[in-house]
Amino acid sequence: MPFSKIAGLSAIALAAGLSAAGATTLKDVKDQGYIRVATANEVPYSYMKDDGTSAGIGPDVANAVLKKLGVAEANWSVTPFGTLIPGLKAKRFDFVAAEQNISPERCKQVSFTEPNSSYGEGLLVKKGNPKKLTTYADIAKDPSLKVAVVSGANNIDFLRAVGVKDSQVIFITANADALATVQSRADAYAATELTVASLAKGQANVEQVAPFTDPVVNGKPVRNFGGFAFRPEDKELRDAFNAALVEFRKSEDYKKILGTYGLSEASIKAAAERKVEDLCAGK
Amino acid sequence: MMYGFEWDTTTPLSYASSILPIILIGLTVTLQAAAAGFAIALVLGLVFALLRRSRFTAVSWTTAIVVEFLRDTPLLVQLFFLYYVLPDYGITLPAFLTGALALGLQYSAYTSEVYRGGIEAVPRGQWEAATALNLSRLQTYRDIVVPQIVPRILPAMGNYLVAMIKETPVLSVVTVLEMMGLANMIGERTFEYLVPLTLVGLIFLLLTLICSAGLHRLQKALPKAGIPLR
Amino acid sequence: MEWLSYLPALSRGALITAGITLSAIAIGAVAAFAAGIARVEGGRALSLVALCYTELFRGTSLLVQLFWFYYALPLVGISFEPVATGILVLSLHVGAYGSEIVRGALQSVSVQQHEAARALNFGRAQTLLHISLPQALVEMMPAFGNLAIETLKLSSLVSLISIADLTFRAQSIRNLTLDSAGVYSLTLVGYFAMSLVLMLIMRLIERLVRRGAAFPRAAHS
Repeated sequence: MPFSKIAGLSAIALAAGLSAAGATTLKDVKDQGYIRVATANEVPYSYMKDDGTSAGIGPDVANAVLKKLGVAEANWSVTPFGTLIPGLKAKRFDFVAAEQNISPERCKQVSFTEPNSSYGEGLLVKKGNPKKLTTYADIAKDPSLKVAVVSGANNIDFLRAVGVKDSQVIFITANADALATVQSRADAYAATELTVASLAKGQANVEQVAPFTDPVVNGKPVRNFGGFAFRPEDKELRDAFNAALVEFRKSEDYKKILGTYGLSEASIKAAAERKVEDLCAGK
Repeated sequence: MMYGFEWDTTTPLSYASSILPIILIGLTVTLQAAAAGFAIALVLGLVFALLRRSRFTAVSWTTAIVVEFLRDTPLLVQLFFLYYVLPDYGITLPAFLTGALALGLQYSAYTSEVYRGGIEAVPRGQWEAATALNLSRLQTYRDIVVPQIVPRILPAMGNYLVAMIKETPVLSVVTVLEMMGLANMIGERTFEYLVPLTLVGLIFLLLTLICSAGLHRLQKALPKAGIPLR
Repeated sequence: MEWLSYLPALSRGALITAGITLSAIAIGAVAAFAAGIARVEGGRALSLVALCYTELFRGTSLLVQLFWFYYALPLVGISFEPVATGILVLSLHVGAYGSEIVRGALQSVSVQQHEAARALNFGRAQTLLHISLPQALVEMMPAFGNLAIETLKLSSLVSLISIADLTFRAQSIRNLTLDSAGVYSLTLVGYFAMSLVLMLIMRLIERLVRRGAAFPRAAHS
């Protein structure tokens, strides 16, 4: 962005002062010609390519759905995972396409669409898995072990649920910091299976724990269901997006997108079978 | 919940009071980081100041460039460099130490200037007199220079300590859980930033006002003790 | 040379950094003079307002201010674009430091000069404009030069509110390439080079100010 444009932007923004109050509607978005979307830079769910365009399960599906809705352009911004929901509430963007797990806690803050993907958990460790970790509970057994998680991600809840202490946890701000962290400051990195797989790919010093046993919480193995998050007051916009998403999920294009990023047929099917209301109710 | 304290978000006031103990734990980390960083800055700054005065131009010039570089590049990027690059060379310091080191490095550039100003303010005649009296370099510094410059540099050093305290929130980006890091984390869990951030801001304001008042008194007290400030 | 491939993205970021820094210096200078003059010449109310502003923005950390304006303030309905938020907060922050420079310099103009101005029947505004400020300006310039460098360095913090400045670009490239050493070294050198250029600019301005002060107001009749 050239300097004059920054100066112009800031002048406009300063002059405009208060942001427009009230809900953002699909019509607003179409009138202004673009919509603002946030991702968290987590391969393969959502990330920014080096040319500045977005990619990943969330952005690819979002772009396809937006096209169906007739929204010409999406303005993407990358923000730390933990600030996705606060940023959404602060109207920094109109929705979040980061495949955040639809959890009852988050449902109190934002309005999710129907699930767009489903995924299990994983662990990234040093090559050769020197601590012989096979599941999150192994970390709880040895208090001297350290595990990294992305701040604001829900993996911490699963770690806590199996007995990992807060003093064992290193909170990192971005998924990409995990590689450096696992090689120096932590014994493992806890994230979703796809994240771990994509990080481990082509790396000589780290590996994905396999076979990995999903953590069991409340008697059930954990499975995540990622969706798009909107502001609760933007109900009309969320409903329009959701209807188009449900329609798009039936298409071959949808399966192709998810397949490219390593999601199995079973995972795709699992996502389509769950209802957002049930997930929000903790069922 | 964090450090055993549960938050209560029913009203802003109950929220603030319920997270205050957590933030205060962060305050101790903030102060420790600043103290450690300042100790590093005091020692390293002195080393730089003395090297600057070296008779070998190669040494004094290299030092000048290093100091200039440290002073003209952002703390945040220096911090990233130390945190992510040092482990590549087998040096893995805990996040807290990395943060203190970054603060110390950045501020050593400032303190070295303060030392330099202090040393140069000692009149030439006194150096010559010291030489005439056959005092060694060590004796000259210990008995002549240091007693004069310490009171002279104290206020400036105090100002840098306060400035450093205010820069510690940057350490939160490399996982140091000082006040800002904790406030962010509380914000991420409760999805409500206003109260934790305001609380941290207020504590910083209070801290700065207290420190400034203390410095003011120090500055007033020094000339009374018979030490000229200029 | 692998790191050569980082240069296009980094220079795009450097442009944003330069834009934000220069805007913040310009707006910060306005804030500094307004608050500094208000502290010295303003009435009780005005100088109190200026004092509060100065203490508030000097007393809290820039990162806290940035996050507060970026995440917290919108919740009560006040929101600016990220870039505007960054420039605004950075300006107010360095402006608060600058106001102390302005205040100090204005107060150093001697009492005799004020008396002389009064003898010449100068009004308060005239005294300020024609006697105090020109002298104080020369006095302020070295400190302002340091503050300008400080502004450039502090501008790196806007990367944390998702503005794609030099530091932000460095982070994204590192996330992709994992070449921490190369990316951060290059970034540090980039900031250093920009600092040197900024120093040069500030020296030039200082020289202009000195010249202006040496031949004061020939046009004033």
